[in-house]
Amino acid sequence: MDWLNRLMALDRRWIFLLVAIGTALPIIFPIGFKVSVTPPAKALFDRIEQMGPDDVVLLSFDYGPSTAPENDPMADAVLRHCFSKRVKVVLLSLFPIGGVTMADQSLARVLRDFPDIRRGIDYAHLGYKSGSQATMKQMGEDIHRVFPTDRYGMALSEVPLLQRVRTYDDMKLVVSFATGIIGEWWANLINAQFHIPVAVGCTAVSAPKYYAYLQSGQMVGLLGGLKGASEYERLVIDRYPIVEAAYTRAGLYTAIKGMDAQTIIHTLILLFIIMANVAFFAGRGRAAQAKR
Amino acid sequence: MNLLGIWIASFLTLCIFSFLYKDNPFFRFAESLFAGVSLGYYIGQEADQTIRPNLIEPLRTNFAGNWDLLIPALIGVNLYTRYIPKANWWARWSLAIYVGYYVGVNMVQKLHGEVLPQMQSTVVPLSLSAGPMGLLNNLILIAGVLSVLIYFFFSLEHKGAVGLTSRVGIWFLMLGFGAAFGYTVMGRVSLLIGRLNYLITQWAMGTVDALGRLL
Repeated sequence: MDWLNRLMALDRRWIFLLVAIGTALPIIFPIGFKVSVTPPAKALFDRIEQMGPDDVVLLSFDYGPSTAPENDPMADAVLRHCFSKRVKVVLLSLFPIGGVTMADQSLARVLRDFPDIRRGIDYAHLGYKSGSQATMKQMGEDIHRVFPTDRYGMALSEVPLLQRVRTYDDMKLVVSFATGIIGEWWANLINAQFHIPVAVGCTAVSAPKYYAYLQSGQMVGLLGGLKGASEYERLVIDRYPIVEAAYTRAGLYTAIKGMDAQTIIHTLILLFIIMANVAFFAGRGRAAQAKR
Repeated sequence: MNLLGIWIASFLTLCIFSFLYKDNPFFRFAESLFAGVSLGYYIGQEADQTIRPNLIEPLRTNFAGNWDLLIPALIGVNLYTRYIPKANWWARWSLAIYVGYYVGVNMVQKLHGEVLPQMQSTVVPLSLSAGPMGLLNNLILIAGVLSVLIYFFFSLEHKGAVGLTSRVGIWFLMLGFGAAFGYTVMGRVSLLIGRLNYLITQWAMGTVDALGRLL
């Protein structure tokens, strides 16, 4: 039973090293595990799929660089979907530490593949505004008052798309890519008060609580963490093959690629849990035997 | 220039990762730098994206039409009187307005946006009209809500039927915690994947590409 003592006393840095290797290998040598789509992601996809070129979607970038590996792929996928459908998009951020930069970067990554999408006509970028709930509530009365200018310093009245968008009534859907509580506010404040459909792309850590809003009908779709993002990428690629070229570009980080490493690491963690439990119970049995 | 930025970002990532081996000055340097840069970024964004377009510019271009903006501005500035020992009580007025507003918003938000819709969504049909799977789901939902509520009901001793139901509640809670923990693992691993992907594809492969172009 010497192996048991060694296992129980294993320096956890060996586990860190194994996890690092298990993560790095699928990044270098992609496996291409199949991505299955769940109803919450499909519901959001279908909702945008039903829209036309006159419809407007509000995308709120409520996350920062600390959760970009989870939120970036979902934001990019939804943006690609909207631009493929020619659905009009209004971007903004309510998250102070990096939200507006995340929106800028997502837009830059996606616009590379849509050269005919025009700023101010097909999309508008409102930038960041502080005030959280107060800002969100005021937007229900007049967006032009809350955002006197867009991200590029242009008066909203001079932005063609925003000339017909003044309140939530002029939009069909809000999608919040959220790291914290702001996504919840869209569901329990804005949906409750203004009845605009809301979907949230959240980090995996906060996904369980969003299922309650989904189940109660306060949200129309949910992308939970990297898995949700990979599902949306799959849906967009399958429906719009032209987008596939963007997703196969070398060096581009995508959720589908990330799920390879995710699957390997989850298997590894399951093995660790089983090994630790075997060692724990075997050790307890041995201690009980020694007592007798 | 782009490669220099990638090297700096990669170096800082490795500084943070070095904590996994043990605490060290590189980790503390990167941590302090991150805190400082975040604060600077925050102040810059607030000034550029909110204070300038929503306060300074309207006052500068049309003072007569926007003079009322001075009221919230003064309430905000008044918060800083707490640093003046003789006038620090003034800040309480601003704080009271701030707290009062958000208590009002949150009260309605919690009741109208959480309590009532969540209660409403637990009123589900216990008949085959929802289909066999729907019925099973609804039964699980109701059993879960009631047993967990009873677990948190402390006015009765948890013995007999109440004790049994509260034990079922514990199982529902454990299942919930398990799902939350599974998602947490997935979230943390996703962040690791993001950083390692950056180190491998941007830093290592980017540097090899740049050297290849040079040679």
